[in-house]
Parts: sequence; C-alpha cells; structure tokens
Amino acid sequence: MMRDLGTGKENTWCTGCGNFGILNAVKKAIGELVENGSKLSDFAITCGIGCHGKIFDYLALSGIYGLHGRGTATAQGMKLANPALKVISFGGDGDSLGEGLEHTLFAAKRNMDITLILHNNGNYGLTTGQFSPLSEPGYKGLSTPLGSIEKPFRAIPLLLEAGASFVARGFSARPDHLTELIIAALNHKGFSFIEVMQPCVSYNNNYAYLNQKVKLLEVIPTTQAHAIDLASDPDHVYLGVFSRKNLPVYHELLYGSANPQKDRPDYLHRQDILHAK
Amino acid sequence: MAIRTVIIGGKAGEGVKKAAQVVANTLFRQGWQVFQADDYQSLIKGGHNFSSVSFSDSEVHTAYAKANLLISFDQRSYTAHSEDMADADSLHVYNSDMTPEAVQEARGKTLGLPLSTMMKQIYGPGGNVSLAAVSVFFLWMGYPQAELEAVIAREFKRNVEDNISYAKAVYQAARQAGIGGSQIPDSEFPLISMEQSVQRFTSGNQAMALGAWLGGLDFYYAYPMTPASSILHYLALKTTTHKVYAIHAESELAAANMAIGSVVSGARTAIGSSGGGFALMQEAFSLAGITEAPLLCFLASRPGPATGVSTYTAQEDLPFALNQGHGEFARIVAAPDSPQRAFSLAAELLSLAWEFQCPVILLSDKHLSESSQNLTLPDEVPWARVEQGVPGSSYQRYSITESGVSPLLFPGSENIDDNTVIKWNSHEHLPSGLRTDKAEAMIAMKDKRNRKSPAISIATQRHERVAFYGEQGTPVFAYGSGVMELREARKHCSKPFIIVALIYLTPFPSEELSVYSGKEIITLEHSSTGNLDRFIRQNLDVSIKHSVLRYDGRPFDPLELAKIMEDIL
Ligand SMILES: Cc1ncc(C[n+]2csc(CCOP(=O)(O)OP(=O)(O)O)c2C)c(N)n1
Ligand code: SF4
Repeated sequence: MMRDLGTGKENTWCTGCGNFGILNAVKKAIGELVENGSKLSDFAITCGIGCHGKIFDYLALSGIYGLHGRGTATAQGMKLANPALKVISFGGDGDSLGEGLEHTLFAAKRNMDITLILHNNGNYGLTTGQFSPLSEPGYKGLSTPLGSIEKPFRAIPLLLEAGASFVARGFSARPDHLTELIIAALNHKGFSFIEVMQPCVSYNNNYAYLNQKVKLLEVIPTTQAHAIDLASDPDHVYLGVFSRKNLPVYHELLYGSANPQKDRPDYLHRQDILHAK
Repeated sequence: MAIRTVIIGGKAGEGVKKAAQVVANTLFRQGWQVFQADDYQSLIKGGHNFSSVSFSDSEVHTAYAKANLLISFDQRSYTAHSEDMADADSLHVYNSDMTPEAVQEARGKTLGLPLSTMMKQIYGPGGNVSLAAVSVFFLWMGYPQAELEAVIAREFKRNVEDNISYAKAVYQAARQAGIGGSQIPDSEFPLISMEQSVQRFTSGNQAMALGAWLGGLDFYYAYPMTPASSILHYLALKTTTHKVYAIHAESELAAANMAIGSVVSGARTAIGSSGGGFALMQEAFSLAGITEAPLLCFLASRPGPATGVSTYTAQEDLPFALNQGHGEFARIVAAPDSPQRAFSLAAELLSLAWEFQCPVILLSDKHLSESSQNLTLPDEVPWARVEQGVPGSSYQRYSITESGVSPLLFPGSENIDDNTVIKWNSHEHLPSGLRTDKAEAMIAMKDKRNRKSPAISIATQRHERVAFYGEQGTPVFAYGSGVMELREARKHCSKPFIIVALIYLTPFPSEELSVYSGKEIITLEHSSTGNLDRFIRQNLDVSIKHSVLRYDGRPFDPLELAKIMEDIL
C-alpha cells in the first residue's frame, strides 16, 4: 500500500472551495500511477503563491514552494537537473497567466517535459478577489469596483499557440474525470497543461454556471483550429483533452539520454577535461 | 623590460577585436605576459571601436592608452588616436584609402597603406581588413611571413586562400615601406611553446566561468546583458566537452527561478547578469535566502542606473551587491582583483555557497570581466561538497542544528526512498519545510539561519580575503579592476604606496584590516559618489585622506594614474 499523501497540516481553504477537488484528484492520480509502477520518490512538485499554492503544504511530496508567478520556471530547473523526476507545477490564473505568464508560455514553447495544473478560479483568491487575467469583462473586485474593462485571455488557445503538446480542461467538481486527465498529463512526454475550472466560493462562485455549461469532449479535436473553437465556445465549457502530440522534449535535445544529476563529472574528471588538449 | 602596446582601431564590424585577439594570442603563445582591453560601443556596424594589447615579460595588469604600434582602419580611428603615440619610435599605420590627407603627428612615424584597395584587388567585394592589422603587427615584431600564414589560416577560417594572399600583400607592402623587424629583444618565433603549459589567455568572465565549473558547476542560467553575456556564451560552448549546461532563459526572472529549481534537484548552479538584469533577479535572490539555496551569482557592473552605458565600466553597484534582496539572511559577497583571481574565487564562492547553503555574489566590472590576461591554472580549487542528510520518514529539510546548516537530500536521487519528503519553502517554515506563521517557529527558523553567519565569517578566512601589493607607503584601498589599475600605475609612480585590495566584502574582513584602524588611507573606485568610502567607513575607523573617483566608463591609463597618485601622495 502506498503511504498517505497528506501532511496532516490544517487545511485553510474555504469550505466548498474547488481546490479540494483538485487535491483529491492529484492524490488519486499519483496513487494510480504508483500502483502501475511509477516510483513515488520520482514525483516532485512546485507552485506559485495564491490559494492554489497551499496544495504544496497538503501534499507529502518533495519539491519547493516557489515565488508568485515563478513556479513553472522553478519546475523547469528541477526537471533539467534531474530528468528522472516527474515535475508538477501548480499555478493560479493570476500567478501563471499574469505575474508569470512568460514562464507558462516558454515552458510550452520548449515542450519542457513537466505538467502545469492551472487552478482557474477567475480571480485572485488569496489577495481578496481582485480580477485576474481570466476574469470576464465587468468583473467587480476591489481593484475594479466599476467592473473590469479588460478582455480575458483564453488559457487553452493561448497554450496551444505557444506549443504545449498536451492540453486539457477539467473541472474540480468532476474529480474522476480530472483524475484521468492528470494521469494522462503525467504519462505524456512533453509539456502538459490542464486548465482546471475551480470555483471560488468566496469571490467567484460559479458552480451553478459551470454545472450547467460543462460538456465532455468526445474525441480529441483533429485540428488546432477546431480545438481553439471548442475551447472558446461561449455556450459550453468543454472538458477533456484538446490536443495531444508527440514532439521532441527540451531536455533530450539538450543532453540526450544523460542525467546531469547522476552523470556529473567529479573533480578529478574535471581536472582531466581542463588539461585535455 | 619595457611594456609595449599595440592599439587597433576601426568601425564596429571591421574585426577590430578579433585582430587584437589574434595579436594578443600570438604574443601569449610566444611567452609574453599580455593584457587585452576592448573599447567598443553598443552597435553592430560603424561607430568607433578600438582594442589595446599591452605586453611585457612580467605581469601586465591593465592596458596602456599610448601605443608603440597603432593601426587605424578608418579616418575616425586615425583622428581619434593621432595623439596616442607612446614615443618618437612609435608607428601609426593607417588606411590611406580612408585617410587621404594624413597630418604629421606630434611624435612617432606614420605610414599610410591602401588597405581597402589591396583588399578589393584580392577579394573583389567583401574581404577582411582586420588581417591587415595582424600582418603589420607580425612585421613590426620581426616575425617571419611563414608564421603569419600559419596564424591566419588557423584564426580566420572563412576564405582561407584569399586571407593568406591579403595578409601576405600587406606584409610585403609594409616591408617595402620600410617597417623592419622590431627592436624588441627575444621576439623571434617561437620564444617558448605554450602548448603544454598551465597558462591560458582568458577574459575575466571566461576565468570565473571555468573556475566555477572546475569547482563543480553544472548549470548556468542567464539572460544576455553586457558585460555578463560572455559567461553564458563561454559555458554554452563547453556543453559537450565539459558537461555543463548554459541556458539562455526568457528573462532574468526565469533564469533565477529556474536556477533555484536546479539547486533543489542537486545541481551546482549559477546565474549572472549586469545591474539591470540582476535587479530583476532580486526576489529570487531572497528566495535563495529563505530556502537556503546555494546559488552562485555573477554580477558584472557597467555604468547605471537602468540601461546606463552598456559597454563601459563602472563600480556603481557596490551597495546594490551588498544589499541584494529583501529580508534578512546570510550571504557572501566578494570581488576578484584580477581575471586570475576570478578563476579561484568563483570556485571558492561556489563551495562556500554549498557549505553554508546561502546565495553568494561574485562582483566584477566590465573592465575585469571583458579584458583578457594570462591565467595560470591553480593546482587545486575548492570543490563544492554537500552535507548529506539521512533518507527516511524522519528527514527534515530544515532540521534545527547547532551550526544552522541542515543536511541536504535531493528528490529522485538514488538513495531516496518513498518515505523521504524534501520540502523547500519560500514562506517561513517549520523544520519539515511546511509553511508557518507561528511566532516561536519564526524565531526558531530565523535563529537557525542566522547561526550560520559567524561560521561563514570564519570559513572565509581560509581564503585570501584581502590582498596587499607593496611594502610601504600610504595604504590605497580598492577592489575589482581598481586594483589592476593601481598595480600597473605603481610601476611608474615615484612615491610608494601599498594597495589594499578588498576581495571579500561580506563578511567584512575585519581581522586583516584592523591594523589600519585610526590610520589615514586613500581610496580608488569607479563611482561618482564614493560607495567604497562609505562602505569602508561603516566597517573601519579610518580617515580617508583622498578618494580617487572616476565615472566616465573608462579605465585609467596607468601612466595617467601614476601622475594622479604622485600628486596626492
Ligand atoms: C511578487 C508578488 N507580488 C504579489 C504578491 C501577492 N499575491 C499573493 S497571491 C496573489 C494573487 C493570487 O491569485 P492567483 O494566482 O489567481 O491565485 P489564487 O489565490 O486565486 O489561487 C498575489 C497578487 C506576492 N506574493 N508576490
Ligand atoms: S478564497 Fe476562493 S480560492 Fe481561496 S480558498 Fe477561498 S474559495 Fe478557495
């Protein structure tokens, strides 16, 4: 039996927060992967700062609780130094599409072999509900009392365009489906991105809206254009895999099958290299 | 023996720096002590660039402004340097196609050669005028034409046949115009063979990159910014042979956070930039502070603030380096006083970072980072070791220890079992690495981190924290390339002075400097407000008799500085 993945730390998410669904799905996904032969000690996690980031404290997995917006940069550094790791980066919509947008896009561009789980609650939960890069026009928060005058990003089209090789959407209130997506993402070789619709009961309680709008994708769209259309459909929130491609991954292009952590030249070897003609 | 200087000037894109490199490398391989400095603008074509190569049979610490041999590719260079002849024997070779009416210079000899016409005759369109400088230099040194051909073939790989024809044509034309073998003794080829030796000719940046690598560096993350960029370029070139990975990230923010990720996975990692980019790395520097991430940071200064003057030198960033990051945490800041020192210091700092799990800064400046000098490889450098923890469910990343240093383990490494959880945290945390905001837990963790400081201070004493050059006279405090300038100026100054070169800045080397307490000193730095003065006064009870400040982006000419020193001593 795999050990418990909880840390026993007091959970401070609001009752009913969508983050609970994500936490449970992650635990279940890792449990299943370990049952099917993955090594628990090969999982490593990182995150940004926000309500989403607290998941770091609730998961008894190794890694680093990073800076606001920078989790996906940190995740890439972890992966590059030890490619045997399965690295998961947990991001918020403010975190990964605002403060740290560049790292999200570049991780996708590089097809870095890591997984980004985006907790899309449509606002900045932890800092009391300000609008986020994914908030709809008219969203009222403390910094936009008259309503947001900006158009939101669409996470999935953005990531597809940036080159993510696995792109999916889940819903925190559909934990079994979400678990399957997380397993598929972790099994995918290359950059995998899951946008998780995560209701925030305190500032953006969209449970009713989502429950009414979600619809499962039946098949993976065959063209990028179709995937983008489905991801931006105003009438439905499609859940499922929007794109899955096999593309070369960054670390193998950089150093092939080597593992810098295990194959690092020692001091004497370095002296030899230094004095080699 | 006398010190000689060759200056080559022309437009960006004409290969001024490359020609100077070939000249400097040839001298180096001959067994000379050489110093090469490049003065260039932030543009790719046009403008005015010049490179200076000074050489002697003993160490040369910086380049001279007056040349024994001047080579100008264009009118602007001709005019800019017409006053820069060292003596009556000096020679200025210029491109008569570009400078039809040369004036008689104040001293020295001038010789116009139609470098562009000759180039057109051989290459048709295109060509490489920088070869002409190499040819003139070879003839001036009295080196045979066969050696010139070999060097041209080795150093200029594109269009080899035409290159050799052009180089020979210039060599012959200059010989016919009367340039003979030089008066420099022992200049015959080859003086000694450097092939087997432990000497290299490297820039400060190359030296610090190589030194860090020898000390264990695995990864380097950066975003290009002059004058730090060549660290990235150099390490990127070494990927295959040295198994070191240099990553050009999307920004400095990315570089610094990726670097800390690699540290978590156990890689010896460094980042580097100049002031502007380093400012963007500040938050991550603090992240390294609270997570206790060993991180080597190269900060190569240029004139600021903000974009400032990209390709010139300055030491304005001393307070910035010393106060890097927000919040309280231990760190080490040190500045090499030569490219040679940069090599060993980089390895020292990397190993101290890993011993004490803290960020460290190697502070340099454009003149030190981008100038090249003979480097003698030291027999040994420190190796960055890891104090390993014991895997198992009781492992705690931030275990409370007497020394303040908590043993390390890395996720996914061979000795890690499923029950080992290694948690690093940017929040204040418990020994387990889980976040906390509890009062006692905060105090305990801050105290743990702070306990490292006294031990760091003692550990740095293993190394030369202050270097002294000279036996008697007024102490002159300086750091970085300021020390190089003073060492060269001292050769020409009739009044004695001792150079006190500060290498370790934080922790402050009080033990070595206590002898100066109550004494009068002089300081020298490339700053407009006296950063070094304030720093020294904060740490040492001295009276500063005079501060030599320079802030025009240019290094001192040693002769000019010697005069300044004579006036104030
Ligand atoms: C550099 C920096 N800027 C600002 C903050 C303050 N801050 C913490 S979380 C957050 C936004 C959180 O929003 P999001 O990423 O969407 O996460 P959520 O709380 O909604 O899960 C902000 C602005 C910070 N911690 N660091
Ligand atoms: S504020 Fe919103 S996102 Fe944060 S814990 Fe509460 S419900 Fe969840």
